[in-house]
Amino acid sequence: MHVVVCVKAVPSTTEVRMDTVTHTIVRDGRQAVINPFDTAALELALRIKDAAGEKGAPAEPVSVSVLSMGIPDTERLLRDALSRGADAAVLLSDRAFAGADTLATSYALACGLAQMPPADLVLCGKMAVDGDTAQIGPEIAGALGVPCVTDVRELAEVGAGRVRVWRGCEGGTELAEAPLPAVLTVAKEAADLRMPSIAGVRFGERARVRVLDAPAAGADPARCGLAGSPTQVVRSFVPQRTSVAVRVEGTVAEQAAQVADLIEGMTL
Amino acid sequence: MVNVHPMDEGYAGFCRDESRTQGSAASISFPVSEDEVRALMRQMSAAGTPVTVQGTRTGLAAGAVPAGGHVMNLAHMDRVLGMRVAPGPDGAAVFCVRLQPGVVLANLRKYLADKSMPTAGWDAESLQTWGELCEGTEQIFPTDPTEASATLGGIVACNASGARSYRYGPARPHIRALRVVLASGETLALERGARVARGRGAERTLALETEQGRRMDLALPSYEMPRTKNASGYYIEDGMDAVDLFVGSDGTLGVVTEIEVELVSAPAVVWAVSCFFTAESQALDFVVAARPELGCALAFEYFDGAALGILRHQKAAGAGFASLPDVDPAAAACVFVELGCADESEALAALERVAALIARVGGSEDATWVARTDVDRERLRFFRHAVPESVNMLIDERRRTDPAITKLGSDMAVPDDRLHDVMALYRETLAEAGLESATWGHIGNNHLHVNVLPRNAADHARGKELFCCWARAVTDMGGAVSAEHGVGKIKRDFLAVMYGEGHLREMARLKCQLDPQGLLGRGNLFSAELLDEERAACAAAAGEKGCALDAAAAGSPAGASPHAAGEVA
Repeated sequence: MHVVVCVKAVPSTTEVRMDTVTHTIVRDGRQAVINPFDTAALELALRIKDAAGEKGAPAEPVSVSVLSMGIPDTERLLRDALSRGADAAVLLSDRAFAGADTLATSYALACGLAQMPPADLVLCGKMAVDGDTAQIGPEIAGALGVPCVTDVRELAEVGAGRVRVWRGCEGGTELAEAPLPAVLTVAKEAADLRMPSIAGVRFGERARVRVLDAPAAGADPARCGLAGSPTQVVRSFVPQRTSVAVRVEGTVAEQAAQVADLIEGMTL
Repeated sequence: MVNVHPMDEGYAGFCRDESRTQGSAASISFPVSEDEVRALMRQMSAAGTPVTVQGTRTGLAAGAVPAGGHVMNLAHMDRVLGMRVAPGPDGAAVFCVRLQPGVVLANLRKYLADKSMPTAGWDAESLQTWGELCEGTEQIFPTDPTEASATLGGIVACNASGARSYRYGPARPHIRALRVVLASGETLALERGARVARGRGAERTLALETEQGRRMDLALPSYEMPRTKNASGYYIEDGMDAVDLFVGSDGTLGVVTEIEVELVSAPAVVWAVSCFFTAESQALDFVVAARPELGCALAFEYFDGAALGILRHQKAAGAGFASLPDVDPAAAACVFVELGCADESEALAALERVAALIARVGGSEDATWVARTDVDRERLRFFRHAVPESVNMLIDERRRTDPAITKLGSDMAVPDDRLHDVMALYRETLAEAGLESATWGHIGNNHLHVNVLPRNAADHARGKELFCCWARAVTDMGGAVSAEHGVGKIKRDFLAVMYGEGHLREMARLKCQLDPQGLLGRGNLFSAELLDEERAACAAAAGEKGCALDAAAAGSPAGASPHAAGEVA
């Protein structure tokens, strides 16, 4: 079984820098991290691999690959995924991919998947913490023509040509089943990504990360990056913080009176 | 003008600290300036009222718990006053920050990390220096006690340290200058290098002069300090700096009203690795082997099998530790190593050295957790803090059936070559006494917190006896009875074991020279009775010699009499 996890580099803080011309996030690699939802997806994939390696498990071995589209520095994050147990990594990196909306991104990722051994299961984070669209997983499924289960909270069973999962729904969770191959989008609370060992770090640093530009991925330039993105961002901005702190001092009674005055003075 | 409030129910929390010791006081104040501290001290001194100075009360030795009299809480003196560049210990320029004692460590860290400092009211030199700092590499104040809510004043009072004291030492060498208000209300301005002790051994003296022009030639105690991490009693050494006397003096010599700290450049790359071993002996061998070979190590921390077991238990019980990684049940010990390197290639090479050291002692490099990202570093930090927290939760459970039970935690350190010996001592005596325990701490400095976990009052009593036995044995090994928490009130018996009563009386006599009425920090370091005996002896000697000690020194402090609330001008 081959499980592919799609990961995205996102800024490690919420204070992102925007390109004032293209209205896209500036991705210079500084302090980038793997999207936290994607780390949960990676951990679920690694658990499938662990379960297959346990004594008495069905004989079919599981390999886990990670796939990303991003600037060259994204390779660092793929090596980190390798250090935690992934077996192979592919990076789609080309200026032609820059400025992509979700449609162009999912197209590029589908092209990347086509260059890898066939995937039985594709796992994505439910959404990315920078874009918040939650569209990539379903769009990849659409591009591949396979079913998609979103908001996966827990894996119930994988194998015998199907996957059964608990997914979020209004008021709780529900059991969903899909035939393989399939795409799953994973909730952040599904799992905490394991830490790498020293042996894992060594493997991650020495492993080959396959880097594909647009031609190598077999991607049509007209469907990539800004050129392939129908989304038009009219304006983007970082919300300004306007809150102020007021220090309350004195005895408990004095402080209570001051708090009461503050509340009275607020426009609620 | 500063308000002096009666110590009513609304202020009850100010009679306790993290040691869970309960004290009492008649009044409390929250000065915001040195002038207010001086006015308060003059008033308390005139009335003979004892004064206990405190900050955010995160201490573990009850140094901030009042033993009657007045509580002077400095938490509102929390302004950062300015900056300058000055020559550091090796001659290179270092950034220095002047702070009031109530500045909280977490805030200072945040100001520096975010390069966002409250600079209102700063002079031109300070603003220019701050601009230079913001342009350069990240600067840190390296002292890292577990409680980041501690104030800088508290850190100075107990000479705090933390995990990274392995690399950077305790707080003391990072304190550049102090302003101190004496019990008389006079002030001392102390800058490192300006005043050092003269003479050797029993002949050591230290000349000080207040800003008001009074000269003092202090006779210093004659003891030699252990060559280990040490926060036990006054810092005394040939040629010692006056600043060092006040750092770690547990609030007994004066009220620190201004602190200048030296910053250090943060390592460019900080990685951490938790190494799990199947036997405690492997962990000890690993640390002994690693110290000389891992020059980039910032910290070596330890968790024994019992501590890991309690954490595992609390995690399974759903005690808020669900996000912690699972610890392999085979793990009987864990050593956390923090590496500070110039770049990632250096860090990778260091990681390989760690792997080789693990293999050398029979461990496995697969049984490691490496933290290279902020998320992973935060998880390991949470893990390290979850260990004591889970033990506290266990004790709280037991207190429900027996409220008299409290955790007994040691704070002793020994020289490098005695690590195996002290661990053998702990294990053998704990087993003989049939006591349950959990051990963690700063193994790089041979400084472990052995926590006895009493199941009943009898266990508690046996644990206390054991601590006295350890204090004697650790002293014989050339160690210190308190390595970072300070002595405060709850470890003063151990201080007597470490230095002997004669040296304890020398310390008391030193205090009497600066605080003739014995008002400040009463009950810290030595008992009030011992202090009063030495005060009487000092007063008598001063009378014979015609010495200029304050005549009020002969009277007893009004420790038990409530100090009237009101205002001090």
